[in-house]
Amino acid sequence: MAGHTEELPVSGGPARGSAGGGEPDGFRGFVEARSSALLRSGWLLTGDWTSAEDLVQTALAAAWPRWESLDQSPEMYVRKIMVNTFLRWRERRWNGEIATAKLPELRAYGDVFAQVDSRAALTAALDRLPARQRAVVVLRYFADMTEAQTAQTMGCSVGAVKSHASKALARLREAPGLAELMTGGVAP
Amino acid sequence: MTIEDPFTFEERRLAEMLHRVTPEPPRGVTVEDIAIRLANAGAGSSRRGGRSRAASRSGGAPSRGPNDTAVIRGPGRPGRGRRWSPLLAAASVVIVIGASTGLAVALTSHNSPSSPTAGATGSPTSRPSSPGTQSTTTATAPTTTPATGPAVAPIRIANGPWDAELIDSDQLTPGTLVGSGNSLYAISAGYLLRIDAKSGVVKEEVQYSAPITGQPPVVDGSTIWVVWSFGGGTVELRGFDAQTLAQTGSVTVASSGSLASEPEGILAAGPDGTLYVAAGDSVAVVSPSSGTVLRRIDVTGGPAESLAITPDGSTLYVGTAGAVNFGLTSYNAATGAKLAANTQVADQPGNLVATSGGAFGTTGVSMGEAVWFFPASDLASAKEVAQAANGGSVAVPTLADGAVWVGGTRQLECLGAVSGVQENSGAISSVSGIPDQFGSVAYADGNAYAIFLNPHTQQAGVAKITPPNTCVG
Repeated sequence: MAGHTEELPVSGGPARGSAGGGEPDGFRGFVEARSSALLRSGWLLTGDWTSAEDLVQTALAAAWPRWESLDQSPEMYVRKIMVNTFLRWRERRWNGEIATAKLPELRAYGDVFAQVDSRAALTAALDRLPARQRAVVVLRYFADMTEAQTAQTMGCSVGAVKSHASKALARLREAPGLAELMTGGVAP
Repeated sequence: MTIEDPFTFEERRLAEMLHRVTPEPPRGVTVEDIAIRLANAGAGSSRRGGRSRAASRSGGAPSRGPNDTAVIRGPGRPGRGRRWSPLLAAASVVIVIGASTGLAVALTSHNSPSSPTAGATGSPTSRPSSPGTQSTTTATAPTTTPATGPAVAPIRIANGPWDAELIDSDQLTPGTLVGSGNSLYAISAGYLLRIDAKSGVVKEEVQYSAPITGQPPVVDGSTIWVVWSFGGGTVELRGFDAQTLAQTGSVTVASSGSLASEPEGILAAGPDGTLYVAAGDSVAVVSPSSGTVLRRIDVTGGPAESLAITPDGSTLYVGTAGAVNFGLTSYNAATGAKLAANTQVADQPGNLVATSGGAFGTTGVSMGEAVWFFPASDLASAKEVAQAANGGSVAVPTLADGAVWVGGTRQLECLGAVSGVQENSGAISSVSGIPDQFGSVAYADGNAYAIFLNPHTQQAGVAKITPPNTCVG
């Protein structure tokens, strides 16, 4: 790239936007404490770890320069960026719902493969949901957000959250294998 | 967050199930990951669809042309991002993704001096056996050309293996045929082609001078990725729409240490589309959705010359050519942890193919290549599974339809993907003492295809083959 490269301006490094010119106070602790939970949410949103990691990195990178001036819970802010990024990706890449032609059959609980099957059944069920319904499911029922928090994160009304949640539950009810997952149990 | 809203019984069960079933991540995100990401953004990276906010804030105009490819290079300069200087050096990465061709191609010219080894073959000339519908242009954007002609009746190849019949008559670069859906993709002097598998018609073509001979394109869902340039401390990938071959993005990855001097297969895609790029002493893990380098897997034993990822995405194999030994090492693709290694490989392992049973790769150079199998259970107990006898690049192994295929000038073979044992073979004939060449087996539209060349008659192209059932993985 020698012919078309230039040194990054001094202001362009990662410290940009940070009052202290470096890592914001509390940022490392937050990342260490919450990255696992955020990644798990990302996995539920996207269905794979690479995209989950991309989502989390995108959100944390956006939060870094604003970290010390955030007027809301950092986690709420990070999750908001994750969800908005996810919704943009879905709009761009998939254009809506993905129909799953063949759903995995669940093995009997206790089978050594049951945990893998459970995850496959879960992601297949979530794949049935439109992006916003999926986001509501993750925020409400995995991230344990209230309806108001979910609405704030998604930039919509509480009524819209209720509607998305209701429709999502209806779709999930019809997802093969999910009812068993919700009533049965696989040892973690 | 606290739960203030009363859940219904069903909602409570759903919440409980989500917490119970959702797995723990294989690795966490670190502050260093974020720092590198920010460094990339500051270097002018942008998401598909536009420049990033970070880039905009840095004062760049919406369209800065080549200067958008700013790279953070070398050690950090005094007084700048003090504690992050080492990270900035490590993050010498530029990612440029453009939704529009205009944005993406404004950054690097096809024959740009920015690509020291790109365009080594010079300006593209008319593709052999294809009508000259491609206009030569000085524009930076590679141009695509639609279908080049009607289908022709398949031509039976005399004494060809497995009922081989020629369906296309382009002279293709050995080792570059891949299949996806109903299409075959291959590289032919100066062009990347999309061939309709059923008819053999070249549906689309785009100018592309491969910087690494024999490096196949990589299909990632709806995108075809190729190595656009390789050298000068960077590896540039470009993505093309799998149907139209319109450019959709580019990714430039900086090398850590020197790039491989003899690259043989430096790009691979995992099952989820994640791209793995051999970039010197590390393998860059690139998210195709954002074009961002997510992390790097450090490679031991010298520059990474070749790599392959298992179909389940769990294990990365890397072939290296160090100062003392050639080696093949396996890594946990999620964590980067080294799993096993064979540091006593007789020659540089290249053109790697990974299966759940291990890795297949070539050793030897040019026309004397042999194919080896390195069992995952014991990489050190590698065994030669095919001698390609003057097959050159056409003999490189491929993984298609669950089997490993090796071509050459003597026989076309299918090997058990897990066992490495030959399942079947078809003899390749000679004309006047000059053997035909078959290889680069790929699957598309439910059928098998191979690159064919008859050096005697110069007849060449894509041959449809019908392997025996024992070859099906």
